[in-house]
Amino acid sequence: MTQPLLTVSNLTKSFHPDGRNPVLKDLSFTAHKGRFLCILGPSGCGKTTLLKTIAGFLPPTGGTVEVAGRPVTRPGPDRCMVFQEDALFPWLTINVAFAIPGKKKRRLELARFHLHAVGLSHAATHLPHQLSGGMKQRAALARALALSPQILLMDEPFGSLDTQAKAQMQKLLLTLWAQLAQTILFVTHDPTEAATLADKVLIMGNGRIEKTMEINLQRPRNRKDVELFRKANELEEELKV
Amino acid sequence: MGRQQPHKRKWTPWVLPMALLAAWWAATAGQWVPPYLLPPPAQVLAAAKVYAAGDKGPMAGRFFADAAASLVRVGAGFSLAVALGLPLGLVSGRRAAVNRFLSATINGLRAVPGIAWLPLALVWFGIGLKTTVFLVALAAFFPVYLNAQAGARNVPELWLQAGAMMGASGARGVFRVLVPGAMPHVVTGLRLGLGISWAYLVLGELTGVPHGLGAAIMDARMLGRLDLIVAGILIIALLGRATDRLLVLFLTTAFSSARRRP
Repeated sequence: MTQPLLTVSNLTKSFHPDGRNPVLKDLSFTAHKGRFLCILGPSGCGKTTLLKTIAGFLPPTGGTVEVAGRPVTRPGPDRCMVFQEDALFPWLTINVAFAIPGKKKRRLELARFHLHAVGLSHAATHLPHQLSGGMKQRAALARALALSPQILLMDEPFGSLDTQAKAQMQKLLLTLWAQLAQTILFVTHDPTEAATLADKVLIMGNGRIEKTMEINLQRPRNRKDVELFRKANELEEELKV
Repeated sequence: MGRQQPHKRKWTPWVLPMALLAAWWAATAGQWVPPYLLPPPAQVLAAAKVYAAGDKGPMAGRFFADAAASLVRVGAGFSLAVALGLPLGLVSGRRAAVNRFLSATINGLRAVPGIAWLPLALVWFGIGLKTTVFLVALAAFFPVYLNAQAGARNVPELWLQAGAMMGASGARGVFRVLVPGAMPHVVTGLRLGLGISWAYLVLGELTGVPHGLGAAIMDARMLGRLDLIVAGILIIALLGRATDRLLVLFLTTAFSSARRRP
């Protein structure tokens, strides 16, 4: 087996200077390139903290995070995050061209390409406050993908969407994931969402990875498929333990 | 500012000034107010014409020299206030230590009325440009500083994190995320600062400088020319309004973040 793209080893994170009440406790896992990993856990179990530590927003109290063999010390475009809440800059139309390096022409071309990919071509001149919740998350996804990150970090990005918009976004995400061979680490508290999206689900509780479960269902997956339903139930049972 | 109103009428801003003008005219034409307390509009207009372009009589034709002198003083004082207040405000809005270091002093000084500085400024800088620029800069500093601080403090951590993630950290983060994010407050601070600059300009010029709109009002008072005083007041109002519009126009043209609704 090849070297993993992401290696989290013995990660501990406490918000107190003396290290008491750790949110993450000696947590380890790896992710290989092109894989879709879900981190599933109840709210308050440290999922967001884990993601923010991998993104480099929070320094670890102990242990290390390595991406492609290099330790993470600060935020960078190789680990792009799509946030739970709306993190678009309200003064920029759609935001996608913000961080693309290079000349203006290239930036606009790439921005247009990614807007098209997420189905937002028609809204290219809109400001964020003119977009619906689903469109905002599409824009956020395009903004992250435009940087060609090694790993895409997603923190319950569809949590605030209605069922239909959520299903659409999941489908879109899977399409893009397959096209771009993008490595994705996706945080959710919804077992069905995890079963629909992931190759592998890491079940988190009390600051640890309690269990790892491979989802070997065929793609494209159907939410109404019995096998998927069974997997989701299995995951839900694990959450209750 | 750029806000869409359901029934936007072009003449709405003119209603109040026109009503005031009509009341002024009626009060003087109807002899309810004697002319030595308030000269009629026609007389003020005539005085303003002589002041702007006349060649006979006291203060005739002085307007352009006065306005230019005043604009230079406002421009210099306001620029100084922005150059100091904007960066200090932004930093103290994000760094608690800087804020703790500065806030007691700045809020203490803020409580001192500008006129209290006048005697000291006269001793330090003498009569003229420097005193006026000092007073204007001092007065305009506080609104610029305080609003930049509030704006920087209100920029969500999430925006800065998103910026840092996309490679905009350090100085790039300041110019591409922090300043645009704080912009609605910054605009308010700049507008308040420019407005107060005009107020302190007149204070600085009341001390016997040869040119300037404040000096003109003071000269008119010496001459007992109420019509020229009123003309001077109206000219300052118009110039103050015009510079405010120019400031807003400049900011909204140059920065997309200034077009944002707060």
